[in-house]
Amino acid sequence: MAGPATSLAGKPARTGAGTPRVIRNPLWVRVVFMTVALLFLGCFLLLPLAAVFAEALRKGVGAYFHSFADPDVHSAIWLTLLTAAIAVPANLVFGVAAAWCIAKYDFRGKSLLVTFIDLPFAVSPVISGLIYMLIFGLQGWLGPYLGSGDHPWFGEWFNQQDIKIVFAVPGIVLATIFVTFPFVARELIPLMQTQGNDEEYAALTLGASGWQTFWRVTLPNIKWGLFYGVILCNARAMGEFGAVSVISGKIRGETTTMPLQVEILYNENNSVAAFAVASLLALLALVTLVLKSFIEWRHAQTRPSA
Amino acid sequence: MSISALNIRKTFGSYTALSGVDLHVQSGRLVALLGPSGSGKTTLLRIIAGLEYADAGSGRIQFHGEDVTDVPAGKRKVGFVFQHYALFRHMTVFENVAFGLRVRRRRDRPSKSDIADRVNRLLKLVQLESLGGRYPSQLSGGQRQRIALARALAVEPKVLLLDEPFGALDAKVRKELRRWLRKLHEEVHLTTIFVTHDQEEALEIADEVVIMNQAKVEQVGTPQQVYDRPSSPFVYQFLGNVNVFREQSLALAGNGVYARPGRLVEDGLVYVRPHDIAIARHETGADGIPAILRYVHAAGPQARLTLEQVQNRELVEAEISRVELEHLGLKLNDLVLLRLRQARSFEQDYAI
Repeated sequence: MAGPATSLAGKPARTGAGTPRVIRNPLWVRVVFMTVALLFLGCFLLLPLAAVFAEALRKGVGAYFHSFADPDVHSAIWLTLLTAAIAVPANLVFGVAAAWCIAKYDFRGKSLLVTFIDLPFAVSPVISGLIYMLIFGLQGWLGPYLGSGDHPWFGEWFNQQDIKIVFAVPGIVLATIFVTFPFVARELIPLMQTQGNDEEYAALTLGASGWQTFWRVTLPNIKWGLFYGVILCNARAMGEFGAVSVISGKIRGETTTMPLQVEILYNENNSVAAFAVASLLALLALVTLVLKSFIEWRHAQTRPSA
Repeated sequence: MSISALNIRKTFGSYTALSGVDLHVQSGRLVALLGPSGSGKTTLLRIIAGLEYADAGSGRIQFHGEDVTDVPAGKRKVGFVFQHYALFRHMTVFENVAFGLRVRRRRDRPSKSDIADRVNRLLKLVQLESLGGRYPSQLSGGQRQRIALARALAVEPKVLLLDEPFGALDAKVRKELRRWLRKLHEEVHLTTIFVTHDQEEALEIADEVVIMNQAKVEQVGTPQQVYDRPSSPFVYQFLGNVNVFREQSLALAGNGVYARPGRLVEDGLVYVRPHDIAIARHETGADGIPAILRYVHAAGPQARLTLEQVQNRELVEAEISRVELEHLGLKLNDLVLLRLRQARSFEQDYAI
């Protein structure tokens, strides 16, 4: 309702940059498109989300909270947090390093590196899990050398350590890192490419060291993009099912993450508990979306023109 | 501090950006590196700054006789100003200017109040003292470039290097800023090299112009020298408008009196600036190259005429004062005679 009334030309007065008349469609077209979009959104996104909470609360709030008393659920939540706490920082460092190389330097094999960064997006998560089985599993390439035993390749100390990767936490973390690999790098590469090198060069001629240039010039310029990449990476790290499901072995209370726990509970017909855990993941998704919108808004605020 | 670049070569893959370039800049001079895009001028400037390195085994860079070829950019004491300003977008104007002082090691770093003093002094020098709290995105292009200059001056550089400093600005601001730069140069007297592709800019403010073309230096001289006595057809054509006459057309017009005698070569080309062409009404028997007036562009102090030579139908551009034009009382498609006051030809270069 803000803004001046309709002008003489009959152009509706709209706030901001109103859509010019020439590219506006007739009313019925707009109504049809809007209805289709809203119906689709409702059926495929909002309804399932509401169903998760409805199912979780079907037997009341008491039953809902009681679901979290289960020690297996505790351990699943704990393992999910642990996995994300390792995978996200690892991919943060990797993502910044990779984006830095790709955006700021020219070298042989650059496009190959860009392609490889995208690989985890192109491969089904189940395959990702299987790859790690193939490498570290007992019958795999490296597996036989990892467990305790007597292997000529490694020293005495290493043989006694009994390193477990498959069906254990390290495997889950590795698979999660693999699957969430591209998020930060993908977010930063185009941003850093559009920003170019000039500011870094300027810092250099002003006497700043490489390290100072990174902390004082490069990082502040990419901080919102980085934050955005990190929350997406985190959301995926906590929600990953396929790869983790293959490599974890689903040992209850030991190697189940939240998504796996949801499946286990559901298969046991304990649907209230299953949906209660699922509601936590859904909440995480909502928080992620709110943060994402906030960052986009902040980003638009901090760069009025430029 | 004088600057010397000796035999600098630079290639990017199979592309040669600089092929054995020498450059000497005397202390306290304001020198323009002028050339078309792709002539290697920016590459040379970046090599002098240390932002780029010359090919291994090629020449040296010296500041005041001291070799700085292997000194990193941050230690060369150069102030560098970029075409697109390269201001730190997340810092205020004040922080931008203070950056070079803040990143110094603790024992070299001035105190907080000294930094503030110096920054404010510099903001005053570039006439933007009230804008310290703004962000770069809140400034106009001309203001940004002045801040970039203040930032470069904050570290007390020994030489100032500017890469197309006014290239991204509109014509009016560009003109104002280059006069301002000239004035600033007279105040701070820093050895300055600036890169430009705008010949007017170079001729107007530089003490000395270095004209580059195709990875080589074509000519070095004062603006007047390079304009009046260009050493090659390229320089002639690059510095202002020029007409090219085939020698035959001149011979037909008379006994070679229109070009400097003795300099003409067979099949050579003769170069004449538009303002060195005199125009007379056609009279039978009179000397001159017959031509037909095709177009008159009379906005501005001078009238620009486009004429077509009768002999070979090639077009010629002439510039005469508007008073003269009125005096002649010409109409379109009138027949006139062209006389060349000053012309120039070059020995053809047969070396391969």
